[in-house]
Amino acid sequence: MEKDARPSWDNPTQFVLACVSYAVGLGNVWRFPYLCQSHGGGGFLIPYLLMLVLEGVPLFYLELAIGQKMRSGSIRAWSNISPYLGGLGLASVVTSLYLCLYYNIINAWSFWYLFHSFQSVLPWSVCPINSNRTGPIEECEKASSTQYFFYRETLNISPTIEENGGIHMGQALCFVLAWLITYLFVVRGVKSTGKVVYFTATFPYVVLVIYLIRGITLHGAANGIKYMFTPKMEELANISTWINAATQIFFSLGLGFGSLVAFASYNQYNNNFERQAIIVSFINSGTSIFASIVTFAIYGFKATVNYENCLERTRVLLMNTFDLAEDSISMDNVFDWIEKLNATHPLQFAQIADKYDDCNLESELDTAVEGTGLAFIVYSEAIKNMPLSQLWSVLYFIMLLLLGMGSMLGNVTAIITPLRDFKMLSHMSNELFNGLVCLFCMLLGLGFTTPPGNYWFTMFNDYGATFSLLFIVLIEVITVSYIYGIRRFEKDIEDMIGHRPNWYWKTMWVVVSPVLLIALFIFYIINYTMGGTPTYQAWDKELGKSVVTEYPVFGQVFIGLLLVSSVSCVPLTALYVFCRKRKHGSRRKPELVSMVSA
Amino acid sequence: MINLSSEIAYDSVWTGLNILQSAIISAQLRFLLSLLLSVEMLEKIILLLCCSCAVAQHLCTPDASDGYKVRLSIKTALEGQAYEWNENEMFLFRATLAFAMRNHIREQKFEVSNIIVCNETPRVSFWFVVTSPESTSVLIGKEDVEEAVRKSRNRINSAFLLTDKTLEFIGILPTLAAPVDPDTPPWLIVFGVVMGIVGAGIILLLVSSVVQKKRKNEMTDDEENCEETRVKTVENGSVGEGVYNMSFSDDERFTQM
Repeated sequence: MEKDARPSWDNPTQFVLACVSYAVGLGNVWRFPYLCQSHGGGGFLIPYLLMLVLEGVPLFYLELAIGQKMRSGSIRAWSNISPYLGGLGLASVVTSLYLCLYYNIINAWSFWYLFHSFQSVLPWSVCPINSNRTGPIEECEKASSTQYFFYRETLNISPTIEENGGIHMGQALCFVLAWLITYLFVVRGVKSTGKVVYFTATFPYVVLVIYLIRGITLHGAANGIKYMFTPKMEELANISTWINAATQIFFSLGLGFGSLVAFASYNQYNNNFERQAIIVSFINSGTSIFASIVTFAIYGFKATVNYENCLERTRVLLMNTFDLAEDSISMDNVFDWIEKLNATHPLQFAQIADKYDDCNLESELDTAVEGTGLAFIVYSEAIKNMPLSQLWSVLYFIMLLLLGMGSMLGNVTAIITPLRDFKMLSHMSNELFNGLVCLFCMLLGLGFTTPPGNYWFTMFNDYGATFSLLFIVLIEVITVSYIYGIRRFEKDIEDMIGHRPNWYWKTMWVVVSPVLLIALFIFYIINYTMGGTPTYQAWDKELGKSVVTEYPVFGQVFIGLLLVSSVSCVPLTALYVFCRKRKHGSRRKPELVSMVSA
Repeated sequence: MINLSSEIAYDSVWTGLNILQSAIISAQLRFLLSLLLSVEMLEKIILLLCCSCAVAQHLCTPDASDGYKVRLSIKTALEGQAYEWNENEMFLFRATLAFAMRNHIREQKFEVSNIIVCNETPRVSFWFVVTSPESTSVLIGKEDVEEAVRKSRNRINSAFLLTDKTLEFIGILPTLAAPVDPDTPPWLIVFGVVMGIVGAGIILLLVSSVVQKKRKNEMTDDEENCEETRVKTVENGSVGEGVYNMSFSDDERFTQM
């Protein structure tokens, strides 16, 4: 005789914070600054904000409405909308499963770096010494100490995706810890998640503000900020700028995974989600812009430090080669001296020409890095140059952890909620079921801690969710607008919040968003088919840098599987339901007759 | 007869005088010879010395096979407190190196003069070679010099208030300090702490939910017992409070909002 009532958030704030915690994730910190930089700095904000208004907020609103109305996870919610489209929910669950598998590895890396920050000398700031104690290890010298620490000591990466090896024990321990914490946060379902999000949603902002103050006061930060905000308007003419803006809004808000449907299903029926949708979307975008200011301040600092180190190296090289007095060349007149010496001693100068690298501040700023590279290599390089680097390192990785954990909450909830709607699984206790899901994901995810694990991670990251999400959200919006009917949808919303959605929402749902999504979808397919063999960046030990390598055959097959497996759920389920209905239909008629006759 | 003896006496005196003369002459000659010889010796010595100097100077050239280049970066190391490089500092360097050589090759007593320096530049860099104390034309081999410098590197550095990076011997790589290897890597300690806290949290939550469930079960058992007794009393009719209407009890349990 247990309470069968659906668990719910303690108050609407918990729901908003949960959505914020889920949406504001690692992508805001590392993907948006990269896009901003590679697509013309301040000018990128125009397509970004436009896409937010045209596609981001309406689709967010749509998913919240579905979840709150149907009060169940994505599978049952979409089955209720149209029986043939239960596969949509299933596709969401499969995509969320893929995401859960690989996303926690990032948290494991954050833990690894966090734990290694508690040392007097940060391990990525110096190269370790080789076995005969004559100098640093060769791989470290060719690359940099931060790259060496990431690729060799953290990942122990293999030269290609084909080679295999044992599990990296330190990584595996951190990974297990990440999953244990995830389990701790979701063990009681919404009750535990609701309390955790107060912290995971708000503390990252505290750290971001601290970092903003630290970042702006760094030497050379102004270079970075100036670089980011000088708009290069010609980039707006490039179609890929708009495509990237649309995709970024899309993934940043976490549409299509089913997490938003799941979160909204725990709401009170009359919760005013319209306002909340607008608030969360704008908080998400605002955080992206805020985080990119911080990132670029730090970027500028790192570029300036590298530039000055380069100047110093050149100065010492010139002094030593031409035996000039120590204070004759200073940092300011290095270039003048280069010209002078080139003119007076051309032969000697030619001899050192290969040792002398060009120092250019612009090119340092131009080295755009995104994804895990930015977070773990570039940022840790910047941190090692700051005074009190241990403190900044700890703060930064705690922030990364909170952002990642907050997103994981949404990912795991997106799997748990729909599955609990099934009768056979709902009898299991919350704790047991959530534990089983976490255990399953953890065991599968251990594969990412092997030497080629990072390459598999990149594969999942690039192909596991992108295509299927576009497809899912496109079908979602077409279903709601045309199959379910916009009028019925309007009535449902009026039932919940008391007023109908105005013309803006309706236009977006019926016309603008589907058109945009179809365009994105087609572009993605064209890009994929025309792009040739998919490639990845393999770390070359000898050269000390990444080289572009093609995926082997089994890799390409796996990519195809990833793309197809979640998308195919929709047509397959529709087919299955269709067949079942036909069977039931042929059985029902005789029953009716018997009842009537009785 | 007297004429014969005087002739003999005259002859003998003459021979004696001759002998004396020759003796004196020979002595003179010898004296002159020795004088000449000593002058020659002096000249030779001087020549030899000059030769050896020149040879020794010849021994020290840039890119000498047994020599090393030294580079000092005093201003970089000491900034405000940098000292001027002058002859006295050079003397100190040569003395320090002689000390290093003595430490390494204990049988031979190296002197400051055995360290020969050449090709000084405004950068404060120069070449040096080490000659053997026994014979100044023989140079000490490269390997020995390297070993000597390696052994006493610290002492040489501290004599000049410099470090391995700012007092460079081109070609002699410094032996870097051994990395500190703690028994338990520090990250494991922090990991253990966090893991312990998380594990404790999970166990706490699980135990509390099990306890809660048990309590709920007990409460529902109690309530069922209460209902049964109430029904029984109604049936017995011993309680005169009227018929207990089941449909109005325990509202929350049946109605779902």
